[in-house]
Amino acid sequence: MTKTLSLYVERNTFIHRIDPINKVLYACVVVAITFILPYELVGALLILVSILVLLAGKVFRKVIPLIEFSFIIMLSIVIIQGLFHPGNRIPVFHIARITFYKEGLLYAFNLSMRVVNILLAFAILVLTTKPSELIEALVKKGLSPRFGYVLSSALQIIPEMISTVDSIMDAQRSRGLETEGNIAVRIRAFFPLIGPVVMSSLIETRERAMALEVRAFNSKEKKTFLSERLAIRSDMVIRVSLFVMLVLSIILKVLL
Amino acid sequence: MKKIIVENLKYRYPLSEDLALKGISFEVEEGEFIGIVGRNLAGKSTLCQALVGLVPHFYKGAYSGKVEVSGMSVLNSNISELSRKIGIVFQNPFTQITGAKLTVYEEVTFGLENMGIERKEMVKRIEYVLHLLDLEKYKDRNPFELSGGQMQRLAIASIIAMKPGIIVLDEPTSQLDPQGAEEVFKAVQSLSREGITIIMVEHKVEKIAQYTDRVMLMSDGGIVDLSTPQKIFSKDDLLDYGVQAPVFTRLCKSLNIKNKDTGLYPATLGEAYELMVKYEQNRS
Repeated sequence: MTKTLSLYVERNTFIHRIDPINKVLYACVVVAITFILPYELVGALLILVSILVLLAGKVFRKVIPLIEFSFIIMLSIVIIQGLFHPGNRIPVFHIARITFYKEGLLYAFNLSMRVVNILLAFAILVLTTKPSELIEALVKKGLSPRFGYVLSSALQIIPEMISTVDSIMDAQRSRGLETEGNIAVRIRAFFPLIGPVVMSSLIETRERAMALEVRAFNSKEKKTFLSERLAIRSDMVIRVSLFVMLVLSIILKVLL
Repeated sequence: MKKIIVENLKYRYPLSEDLALKGISFEVEEGEFIGIVGRNLAGKSTLCQALVGLVPHFYKGAYSGKVEVSGMSVLNSNISELSRKIGIVFQNPFTQITGAKLTVYEEVTFGLENMGIERKEMVKRIEYVLHLLDLEKYKDRNPFELSGGQMQRLAIASIIAMKPGIIVLDEPTSQLDPQGAEEVFKAVQSLSREGITIIMVEHKVEKIAQYTDRVMLMSDGGIVDLSTPQKIFSKDDLLDYGVQAPVFTRLCKSLNIKNKDTGLYPATLGEAYELMVKYEQNRS
């Protein structure tokens, strides 16, 4: 499984066994709540929950690079909001002649928390769910099998295409094509590469289309599935509690 | 029972001026193993694809004549319906992997899921084909990590799991190394033993002579002859059709060693050996 486009981490934990649909729902509910109740306390609580889930799924360490990556976005939020938020009144600190304001910084903090929340919620989905299982669950729920195929095959076929590109590049380089150097050289090298790459992937796609056809891809029968997910009782509990959380937050919003 | 009936099949690809198939007729019995030989562009692949319905349903184009597979008219059925009766394996093992499944075991299920086969039956069929094609060891591997020969065997397994009764192999070994090719030939032999009707296009004539019941010689969109390997490979004008006889036949031809009963040259190593021993005994 070295060559798939996915961040899935194989572990044997309770979190991995939860119905993929529930993880999708969790991500949606978390995002919804951060917008319905935009308070720091709620945000912090949700972050805590997500972190606990990630720890339970033994994938917390994989999240850190994702957060680091989003750090750039958060930094820009802090700078821009700290300097230019329209409600800025109370100065907090100065760097050289530039003044940061309290209102903007608080707002930036709130936004950043939302970013982290969304990131963590989706990280749970992405890191602990096999893409194929997720897609299969969606197909079982009524997603078109054709679209499901497009999603799941893209994860494997794109890396295969990349390796085709690599071998075409090697072939052209062995005939003396310069592919490294300054921009002009690279642009010139692009054209002799793109022809064979496009042609070979068109031919391959046609062949694969035929191979799929003869395996009853367009069959009108009702599709069956090899994997049988036994719904655990906890799946229902999780689904209900997510729903309750969402309803509660809406009620709170109305009351406050 | 007749498994395949083809009557005066003519076909022209879209955008092309010439007929790719120029009035082909033949019949195949259940359990037969037919080899197809002929030079490039003789229409071998087109014929294969006409049997499974890719011609005309996938390519469109002009079509006349009748192809009947296990009692189903190819023209009036769609490819998915036909896939229950007849399967095809192509040259390139790589493009026959769906890419939607992560293990060899799951890959086999692709067609079965589409056909709506019950889960229990699915498991039974998968175990059967993985055993038949000697792929059990690799069942948890990613299909893309297999060798060419293994991948091609997986492609065959995925088709056989659909229980088609007839399998068409269009140059299944042309992109494989000798070892991979040998694996595939062994697999094809075991299919034949299971009573599956096989149509195989192949350039390795020694293999064709060894395994097949009858050989179809094609040229220029038509059938030149359809007969036993001995008869086809004993033809004097074989080279005119771009086909070379097996090395054993050529050797015996140059020594003029014939089977006295049939008046034909041998086509396989076994036959050639027997005749040569007789020939030597007669001389001494």
